[in-house]
This record gives sequence, structure tokens and C-alpha cells, in this order.
Amino acid sequence: MNVLITSAACATAQIIADALCSAHTLRLTDLPANAGGEIVANDLCHESETDDLVAGIDAIVNIGYQGQSGSNTHLMDYHTRRMYNLLHAASDAGVGRYINISTLRLFEDHEENLVVTERWRTDPSAEDAELLSAHMAEYVCKEFARDRLIQVANLRLGWPFVTDSSTAPNDTAAISSGVIGVAVEAALTSDQLTQWQDIHIQSFVANQRFVTSTASKLLPGLAERLSL
Amino acid sequence: MKILILGGNGMLGPWAVKAMKDRHDILLTDINAPRGDYKGEYRKLSADDVDGVVKAAAGMDVIVNLSVLRPHRQLAFDVNTMGNYAMMVAAREHRIKRVITSGPHYQMAGQQYEEWDFDLNPDMPPAPGTRLYAHTKALGQEVCRVFSERHGIQVITLLYYNMKHSWDLSGMEPGGPEYHNDMTPYSTAWQDCGTAVQAAVEVPDEQLATRCETFFVFPDLPHGKFNNEKTKRVLGWKPRYHIEGLWNKEFRTPPSNLHEAF
Repeated sequence: MNVLITSAACATAQIIADALCSAHTLRLTDLPANAGGEIVANDLCHESETDDLVAGIDAIVNIGYQGQSGSNTHLMDYHTRRMYNLLHAASDAGVGRYINISTLRLFEDHEENLVVTERWRTDPSAEDAELLSAHMAEYVCKEFARDRLIQVANLRLGWPFVTDSSTAPNDTAAISSGVIGVAVEAALTSDQLTQWQDIHIQSFVANQRFVTSTASKLLPGLAERLSL
Repeated sequence: MKILILGGNGMLGPWAVKAMKDRHDILLTDINAPRGDYKGEYRKLSADDVDGVVKAAAGMDVIVNLSVLRPHRQLAFDVNTMGNYAMMVAAREHRIKRVITSGPHYQMAGQQYEEWDFDLNPDMPPAPGTRLYAHTKALGQEVCRVFSERHGIQVITLLYYNMKHSWDLSGMEPGGPEYHNDMTPYSTAWQDCGTAVQAAVEVPDEQLATRCETFFVFPDLPHGKFNNEKTKRVLGWKPRYHIEGLWNKEFRTPPSNLHEAF
């Protein structure tokens, strides 16, 4: 499968690229300020460069949270306008699946005692521009799915990212790099997804904060990683 | 009240100013200069200039964002989405309690609603789809909602569509008025579009059920596609002009189209 990964210079994208590189042909891209080496520079503007970027791509893994840094207005612009441009180009090119990497921090203000699932409304902060931007990116994706222009799997990942053996007692929403990789790989190939599919993913930890039964059900190969 | 108007020199702005200029102190802003007959305060400002909007909002009671840009991808996001972001940052910074924003009906009731359903009301979940104008405006409205939930800022969103001259019911489209045609989705006389902004500025807090309220702005229409009951009931908005010539086969309204004369 030909897979495009955005914001490829960020840590999340590198975890995903490492997990996918052996089974897929990857095209890595980022804004010109972050690009270099094997990462192709692209502004995700509405000109033909974005069309060229997605040509021949089967699926896109978009980093919708903490893939970029900069001013609040830059983050908002990137996660709205540039997401729209990318999705528009992808839809026109017939890209089949778009995996948006979001965050369970969109629910962080809910008390931990609540059993939060994919059917709960997100509650982003207006103060944290990264979170607000992640929320806006989800909004843009959802409308493209609603118009049936592209299939979107919205993976909300836990936090912090940890190695498989480094979870601290208070990291009740932690996710390991290993789980991230398996989850994205499974989201690329699952035949269980609807046109718009939210999926919550975190590692199996003590006092686990978020329910991951949807992930276990829809993402083959992930279930055993979520219940060990 | 002291009112900051963003994008006030477009199509709707002059009608909103006309409705409010003798009742409130207005600071008019836009990237374009006002028409020659405007006598009030004006500042050149783009709605997406966050720092500029924050500065202009100092001392204001209400911000009204009437800025609109439709066809250009970059400008549409800058104005329709980032313009509302700038407005909400300014409202938060200055503890401004009310903001008014505007847009087309389909930023809420997109194609899926409009093509399938009737009695569409402004309390439905937004489903704008991906058309550029609707999508960018919907994103701006969502920014407003998030800020409203976090900071208790009263957001009032006024949703319009076709705007018509009261004297012949022509609109912005070329070729003059088109009578005896379907009015779907809906149309409103320019003057009444302006008085809706005034009503939104002046409606008492206790009339509003939540901190984030949306209204479809149009006079009574017979097609049953959209519902304006909330707009009349909550805002107390009463359109003065008939637009029945758009769909009646025989004219039954007076030449002025004034509601009172009928």
C-alpha cells in the first residue's frame, strides 16, 4: 500500500513510519520549515503541488495533534485550511482511506470516573491551541466523510507516549509506541470501518482511563495488545 | 452600547449600521473604506488580524462579525474561520460578554438537510459538508461554540441566505429580480437583515436559553422547508417587508412591499 504520512518530522509520525515501513511504501511530507532528507516539503496549499503529493497514494496518515508547532494562528490555520486542502486533493485523487491521528486529551477535563467512549462529545480547551486545533482538524475530516468523499478513521490516542515498560502509576491514559504502530497498521487494513469512525486507543494499564473495546473490535491484531 | 463591527463595509454591514447607528456607539472596521455617507468612526482592519481585532475591541460591549469571503480558498479560511477566532480571542481578552456572528444557512443545514428534510430549525447539529463557504463558516461557528463553553461568552449566530431589495425583490444575482420562482431556501429584505443584527445586539440575556444560540433570519415563508419561529419569538424580530412576489403567481402585496401596508 502507498501511504502518505504528514507532519513527518514530528515524533508521532516517526513512530508510525517505523511501524509501517516494512510493509508499505511510505511517502513522508511536512511543511518546508520541517522537511529535509527523505521528507518531502509541501505547504498543503490549494495549488497543484498538493494534488501531486497525493497522486498514487492509497491511504493517508495525518498527524492531527502535535504534529506542528508555532503560533496559535499557525496551528489553527494548519489544522483547518491545510487539512481541507489535503482532504480535497485526496478526495479528488480517489484516496481510499484517511487516518487522522487525534488525541484522547480532548476528554481530559472529564473526571476519570466516567466511562468515556467514542459516543461522547469532545470537550476541547479554548486555551490550549494544540487541543483546539486537534478538535478543528477532526471537524474538517468529519465533513469530508459526511459528504462521502473519503473514508476517515479518527484514532484518538492516549497520552503520554511511553515505552512498553515505562508507565508511571498516574499515567492512566498512557499509550505505548508499540500499540500506536499496531493500531495504525490495523486501521489501514481493517474492513470493519464505517465512513466516519472514531476509535479510542490507549495501552492496557492499571486504572485504565479510557475504554478500548471499539478498537479491539474493529482493528484486527490490536485486541491482544489492549488486554495483556 | 459600544459595538465593534468587523467586516462592516460589505453587503450586510451598511444595513446593520443603519439599524443601529442612532442607538449605539459603533466602531466600524473593514479592509475597505466605508461609503461616503457614513459619518461614524472607522478603522481599516482585516477580521483575521488577531492582534488588530484585540486592540480594536478594547472597551467594547459587543463584537459583531459580518465579514464574509466566499470563493478564494485561502481568503475564505482567513476571513470566515480565523475571523471568528480573532473575535473570540478579543472577547476573552477584554471580557466582552456578547458576540454576534453571521453566515449562510448551510453552514448549519448543509446539503444533506436541505435536500432531504423539512421544518429545519437552528437548534439542529451543524452538518455543513465540504462546500468552501459553508465549511469555513461552520468552522468559525465551532470556534465560537468552544470559546463560549469555556468562557461563558454569549454567542449569537445569524444565518441568512438570499438578500433582496425591498422595492423590486432583486438580489445580488445578475439579470434583475426573478419572480414566481421557488424561494428555497429563503430570502430576506436587506433592511430586515440589518434589523436582525440590532435585535441580536439588544435581546436581553434572559431571553436566551443557552450561551450559544443560532437563528435563521427570514420572514414567514409558505414552503415549510425552514422554520423561523425561534427568531421571531426569542429575538422579537419582526420583518417589515414582504417578499411574496418571489412565489405568488399574482401580486398581492403593495408596491412598497411593506408589511404594515398589507
